[in-house]
Amino acid sequence: MKQTDRPIANPIVVLREEFDDWAVLFNADTAAAVGTNPVGVAVWKLMDGKRDIEGIVSEIKNSFEDTPDASGEEIAAFVGILAENGFVGMEQDSN
Amino acid sequence: MRTPRSLTIEITSRCNLRCRYCYFFNNPEVVYRDLPTDEWLTFFDELGSLGVMTLTLAGGEPFIREDLPVLLEGIVRNRMRFAFLSNGTLIDDEIAAFIAGTGRCEHVQVSVDGSSAQAHDSCRGEGSFEKALRGIRTLQRHRIGVTVRVTIHQHNVHDLENIARFLLDDLGLPDFSTNSAGYMGTCCVNADEVLLNVEERKAAMATLLRLTEKYPGRISSSAGPLTDGRMWRRMEEARAQGKPAFHNGGRLTGCGCPSNKISVRADGAIVPCNMLAHMELGRINHDSLAEVWQNSPDLNQLRTRHNISLAEFEFCAGCSYIPYCTGNCPGLAYTLTGQVDHPSPDACMRRFLEEGGAIL
Ligand code: SF4
Ligand code: SF4
Repeated sequence: MKQTDRPIANPIVVLREEFDDWAVLFNADTAAAVGTNPVGVAVWKLMDGKRDIEGIVSEIKNSFEDTPDASGEEIAAFVGILAENGFVGMEQDSN
Repeated sequence: MRTPRSLTIEITSRCNLRCRYCYFFNNPEVVYRDLPTDEWLTFFDELGSLGVMTLTLAGGEPFIREDLPVLLEGIVRNRMRFAFLSNGTLIDDEIAAFIAGTGRCEHVQVSVDGSSAQAHDSCRGEGSFEKALRGIRTLQRHRIGVTVRVTIHQHNVHDLENIARFLLDDLGLPDFSTNSAGYMGTCCVNADEVLLNVEERKAAMATLLRLTEKYPGRISSSAGPLTDGRMWRRMEEARAQGKPAFHNGGRLTGCGCPSNKISVRADGAIVPCNMLAHMELGRINHDSLAEVWQNSPDLNQLRTRHNISLAEFEFCAGCSYIPYCTGNCPGLAYTLTGQVDHPSPDACMRRFLEEGGAIL
């Protein structure tokens, strides 16, 4: 088994989407919660273990108009924070 | 919020005790009936799909349910955490080990009303003190978070110093919370023997305010003498100095619960809060919780209660505390006046002063 660079959402984490387009990610095992904006929600939904960060960034750029150039770094930082807090892992490759 | 983040669920209407000030029993508007396991499990699946985060399991006494492990598995499976409100007397190693094993328990709140069996058992029944302590120690052994709630009444109001020492120094708990017996349920039947009179309220406030200085940050409350003592001190100071109205003052802002959480009775009725158990908003597994949460006319009306001005009430006519008063708990307002949209006479500072109370 080899770790890939494709992030995958921890299935224990709950995504609570609120009316104002903001959302809360809640890790029931640790009680940690993170608030996020609509771009964060879209990133979260794309973390299925099939795309690397670059792939996620390009999908986000396609779906959101006016995504600033810095968004690639911001998305990587966001995924990094989620990974540090156990919200996200990296897909394992059996090949 | 699209759906509630947390719910209080009375998973049973049974209890092994019959406390003399219990708010839960003897409410003529409540049906005391337990739901079968399957009904709760179906409901937990719905809660999981709505992204609910935490359930507080209450009763009755939640540990009386023989199927508790199965219910907890249903909660865990649906990615939620849980907490308990308990009398502590039925907690044994087996269930404590199970709870610890889930890794999802926020805490178990156990009621302890005295520093000795005499004060505690006076309202809760013989033997309940020792059993509650055994429950606490069992939870501690299994490293489950324990919080303690002290309900203040006529028989323990002069034991508060000892209670604080016992809980914080002897048992080594990090903190505890307090409230007082309120005019609800069984307490209405025994009011003369349990409810604090004005002198006792004064004494409780003075002692608790002193104890909070002795044990900083370790004694809390969201109602009862400590809350009243702190709030009334601020109100009196503001009035005496002619300060501007408090941001939440002058209107019925005393309760924010209906915007944040919701409750379910043991018989499956959805209610805004356990203190408003008569207000049925729907029924689990028949009505969609999201629909009730977003569109129930009664719940939405309760959420606009904060727009009602205290100046509209004859009860408050001429009161100089109006700009600083929040009207307090709608549940107690209902049991004491028959109206939810009314200030609670129980937490009325003017009435307290008129009856001989004093602000310390
Ligand atoms: S107060 Fe709690 S422990 Fe006491 S009778 Fe009522 S439900 Fe049971
Ligand atoms: S009469 Fe009582 S409830 Fe009304 S404003 Fe004055 S203190 Fe508050």
